[in-house]
Amino acid sequence: MAAMNLPDWGKAEAFDNVSGQVAIVGIGEADHSKASGRTTHDIAEQAIARAIADAGLKPGDVDGIMFGPGVGDQFDEKLYRERFGVEHELWVSHQGGGVVWAATAPYHAARAIREGKATTIVNVFSVAWATQRGSMTGGPGQFHAQEQFKANLEVPFGWFPQPVYFSTIARRHMGQYGTTPEQLGAIAVSARRHANRHPGAVMREKPLPLEEYLAKPMLADPLRVEDCCLISDGGAAYVMTSIERARDLPHTPAVVAGVGGGRTDSPYWSQQGDFTATPQVFSAPGAFAMAGVTPADVDILTLYDPFTIVTLMQIEDMGFCAKGEGGAFCEDQGLDFDGGALPTNTHGGMLSHAYVLGISHVVEVVHQLRGTAPNQVTDAEIGIYGGYSGHRASTLVLRRDR
Amino acid sequence: MKHPGFPLPDTSWEPTRGFWEGAAASELRIPRCDACGSLNWYPPPACRHCGGEALTWRAVSGRGQLFSWSHVTRALFKEYASKAPYIPGIVVLDEDPRVRLVTLLVDCNPEGLVVDEPVECVFRPLSFSEIEGEVIAPMFRPIQGG
Repeated sequence: MAAMNLPDWGKAEAFDNVSGQVAIVGIGEADHSKASGRTTHDIAEQAIARAIADAGLKPGDVDGIMFGPGVGDQFDEKLYRERFGVEHELWVSHQGGGVVWAATAPYHAARAIREGKATTIVNVFSVAWATQRGSMTGGPGQFHAQEQFKANLEVPFGWFPQPVYFSTIARRHMGQYGTTPEQLGAIAVSARRHANRHPGAVMREKPLPLEEYLAKPMLADPLRVEDCCLISDGGAAYVMTSIERARDLPHTPAVVAGVGGGRTDSPYWSQQGDFTATPQVFSAPGAFAMAGVTPADVDILTLYDPFTIVTLMQIEDMGFCAKGEGGAFCEDQGLDFDGGALPTNTHGGMLSHAYVLGISHVVEVVHQLRGTAPNQVTDAEIGIYGGYSGHRASTLVLRRDR
Repeated sequence: MKHPGFPLPDTSWEPTRGFWEGAAASELRIPRCDACGSLNWYPPPACRHCGGEALTWRAVSGRGQLFSWSHVTRALFKEYASKAPYIPGIVVLDEDPRVRLVTLLVDCNPEGLVVDEPVECVFRPLSFSEIEGEVIAPMFRPIQGG
């Protein structure tokens, strides 16, 4: 890959070219909900069963499993054998799951398939934070409170938890670039409109016009509750195999065309070199280059969206508009599936579909490329998922097979 | 001293001990590289700019610019409930704007704050009703007419 001019506050990950080698052939979502009493294992089992059936396969056909053991209590190979009644060994990778890994799992799967370690690999992620919220076991804020620099230099000043980080980022973005509350609101409103039209969305029944958004109280000014993701129970899975085998399966393959990753030098939001940017700056160029596409070729985008401002910054940082112009890009229904300049989070994202940490974003891209999305973008051929975890970002470019 | 507990800092934790010792003496102290003179924040094991391994806590002026802030009217964690409304923010130092301090903004109306306006450090006691202990913490306020 040609060297690219990148800023000095982070790095791109070096990935081999895996373009065109594997495809996503099966997708499955568990039921997404508010607190449901379900376990992450039950949720994952449902998602995997649906993904395998969608691929036209049987549980015995899967010989690889990917998950992310660092986030909650994830479904693993032992559970796969127990719950699906199979006895064979599985190739196992911990480079899977949601968040940034939902984008980079296909890279590791492509390598495993190329090296003959597996033929058919499922990546799965599930979460039950809505159910667990009361006890906050492994909840979203706890991780940060335990980190020593944050505990000693941030938390004492009330700079905690995530809504405070991102409202501070949003405030700076407003000061630097003139971004407005109405522009942030446009992102929340578009996500909600998509969710209102999506049968699997947690917020299906709750409309959010812009006037209503603007009338909502501040949670951490300038962010409202409506700028923040949901807390949900849910999960999803997707099945990957070689492009040759993919073409014998029922659905149009979603070909893995490009994968990228990037990270900031500092793991602290407060100390990130460019405070109002994301490491998509480092991740997206490599993914676009591997896929041989440019931002102008993209038909449908899904972005890890813990807060509206993160959607806005990633749109800028992936090159869909100039830095600082994300607000203007998103307003006036710029992200809507039917007529927006760049249909984005067409399932509603984590703001309004479900907080399942990005895995459903990949499922949504596959639906769009197959032509089976509830909010279908006309003739979608190139779709992207952008993952984000603060100091890391990742980019997955999928292409509808010919 | 034993760490009193979240959300108070552990002032004895070595990497940030100089910061809290400085605050107790009403000085804003930042690690400075003995070799190249660069300020480094958060405190690193070696200078980020030249790799020098000797860093010394040095007092800075306490003047800077308001980089950004959040205005929280209802506390987002229970220990901060008695402090609401509060304005956590980030300040960059006049000596080196690469030094970004997380702080609390005080003595101001949040509606009147402006990105990049001049601010100055003040030292205030920080304590929480349900938690034993108190520290002196560097907070910032706008410089009137600055």
